[in-house]
Amino acid sequence: MKKSTLSKDWIQQIVFTGPVTVAFAIIVILPFVMGMYYSFTDWNGVSGTANFIGFSNFTTVWNDEGFRDSFAFTARFTVVAVVLTNLVGFLLALLLTQPLKSRNALRTMFFLPNVIGGLLLGFIWQFIFVRGFAAIGQVTNWSFFNLPWLGDATTGFWGVIIVSVWHGAGYLMIIYIAALINVPKDLNEAAAIDGATAFQRLRHITVPLIMPAVTISLFLALSWSFKTFDVILSLTKGGPYNSTQSVALNIYYEAFQNNRMGLGTAKAFIFFLIVATLTSLQVWFTKKREVQA
Amino acid sequence: MKKRLMLVLSLVLIVAMLAACGSNNGNNAGGNNTQGAGGNTGADAGAGEPVTIRIFQFKVEIAEAFSRLIKEYEAEHPNVKIEVETVGGGADYGAALKAKFASGDEPDIFNNGGFQELNTWMEHLEDLSDQPWVADAIELSKEPMTKDGKIYGMPVNLEGYGFLYNKDLFAQAGITELPKTLSELDAAAKKLQDAGITPFSNGYGEWWVLGNHNFNVAIAQQDDPNAFVQSLNDGTGKIQGNEGFNKWVNLLDTTLKYGNNNPLTTDYNTQVTLFASGQAAMMQQGNWTQVQIDGINPDLNIGVLPMPIDDDAEKNDKLYVGVPNNWVVYNKSEVKEEAKAFLNWMVSSEVGKRFIVEEFKFIPAFKSIEVKDEEVLGDIANDIIKYSQEGKVLSWNWFKYPEGVVQEIGSTMQAYISGKQTKEQMFESFDKSWENLRQK
Repeated sequence: MKKSTLSKDWIQQIVFTGPVTVAFAIIVILPFVMGMYYSFTDWNGVSGTANFIGFSNFTTVWNDEGFRDSFAFTARFTVVAVVLTNLVGFLLALLLTQPLKSRNALRTMFFLPNVIGGLLLGFIWQFIFVRGFAAIGQVTNWSFFNLPWLGDATTGFWGVIIVSVWHGAGYLMIIYIAALINVPKDLNEAAAIDGATAFQRLRHITVPLIMPAVTISLFLALSWSFKTFDVILSLTKGGPYNSTQSVALNIYYEAFQNNRMGLGTAKAFIFFLIVATLTSLQVWFTKKREVQA
Repeated sequence: MKKRLMLVLSLVLIVAMLAACGSNNGNNAGGNNTQGAGGNTGADAGAGEPVTIRIFQFKVEIAEAFSRLIKEYEAEHPNVKIEVETVGGGADYGAALKAKFASGDEPDIFNNGGFQELNTWMEHLEDLSDQPWVADAIELSKEPMTKDGKIYGMPVNLEGYGFLYNKDLFAQAGITELPKTLSELDAAAKKLQDAGITPFSNGYGEWWVLGNHNFNVAIAQQDDPNAFVQSLNDGTGKIQGNEGFNKWVNLLDTTLKYGNNNPLTTDYNTQVTLFASGQAAMMQQGNWTQVQIDGINPDLNIGVLPMPIDDDAEKNDKLYVGVPNNWVVYNKSEVKEEAKAFLNWMVSSEVGKRFIVEEFKFIPAFKSIEVKDEEVLGDIANDIIKYSQEGKVLSWNWFKYPEGVVQEIGSTMQAYISGKQTKEQMFESFDKSWENLRQK
């Protein structure tokens, strides 16, 4: 009797998780392992021969200034983008859980950028920054629009930030809305009767109760920002003078433009270790702050 | 009961999925087999088993005309079917081509830039030295794909660049003598500016305008460009302290001094539009812009000026001419004989020759292909052909650098243009790029 339920469990597990496991293994795990292997070779991405060269790729990466610069950019970018994307998403969610007439239309509008691919967004915004802003600048003479948008390191950085935040905030807004709706009304009402101000209620009741949403949103924003690629590729191509080159873009260029696939995969492997460590830390940290109602 | 039904259903679904995958594989294998058979028997063009040649090409500009050329070929050779795929833009083509090779979907004919790119792809390329068109190709155009005396690719065309200038605006500013030296160029630019015309349209947002074409001026002006690049490639030479480079920076500074606003956000399209609409009098570009200029302003009177780095008129009065790309044949292709036949037909048949000049608007890289009507190619190409015939040409060198160097050069020059780096720092960065990317 016991045996048959066990095998039944197994069949069920295989049926439900088997296909996904197989797909995951083929699409994610296999390339990952192969990439790890290539990171120890001098493969150029074209040739049929890949010589094993030990850790020499990793020492090269260690001395690679371009890689370090791109790391510095990615770190700065991630900090700013994670904070801003979450802040904007949360504020939008707060606003759009108020009884507004156009609430649903607005929610759709703010979510829409997320439906459009990053490449497309990059091209659209490049046009806005370079042509649109210049045209507005000519008419209004406001110095903000007359900056050389995407033409120097500072405007390049903020250009990428603006587009990324605009892209990601809508998605986080949906997560925050879902969390905000689930905050029990009685708690807020009780606090209000006790004389708590709106800000106090937000700070001490709402925020602690939506911590699970904060965990997931921070995690999402963190991994998006770290891996950001398509927006930058179409917006600035990493320029001007490599000032907006993210690590993902640096790896891509190393592998496909410099034709050093081995070195590229070595960079990718290092990058994976760092991102995995940071995101696990973040999840562990925010998980501790989640509370039950 | 319900549970069991679900289980059965899911199982059926999985089986169906697997079966679908399996049958797909079967089809693919079948397709390859028939192709193989065709390749074995259909070596002679004409009647025979149907074969399919797959071309993966880079020139977006000719994509449409190219497909018409292929229709002509297919009409003449009913057993041959040609499939073309076009992917444009620098690194994207290379990445896409690598993906094709990695997935076993290798095209039979594709493009290669030559020199370093030839080294990278060497083991996949068919030796084309025995092809009939080799004797007909212009000497200069064979160099990029030649290695150890063998030729691995057919030049697509010739292209040239320099400063394109607007003849009407020059006349309007009262410039009668065309500038051949740097001081004359400076004086002409000053006159243009005084007449209220922006002298230069600088598209320095594009890395290749800087890294490929502008930087090449300094290399090509060396006494022996090949030896100089070679010395950089094996680490014996340096850009820091090189006299030619010191002079070349003066030219770059001149274009900046008399250039449009925000050169670093000016992309290729903006640059060409500024020039073609008559807002700027000069731009550093080549004959590939002709089609786009015609689209904006077909009546524009254009000529090509040299890019002088000092005041030696004779040494500077030259344009930069080279082969932008080459056709190559995959050496393990089952239809490589048909592929070679097609390439040969493209440059030897009357139809092919006509297409190259009249439809693709190429400056031909073959002696037997004549440009019959001056009007067809446009002002820019005519000036370049004139310079070539007088032997006043300098070489294209960027395919000779280690892969990835041109992009780095472009970025470094952008840093200089924005004021982030001084001249000395720029030279140091150039040397560092070579240091980092040198083939080990």
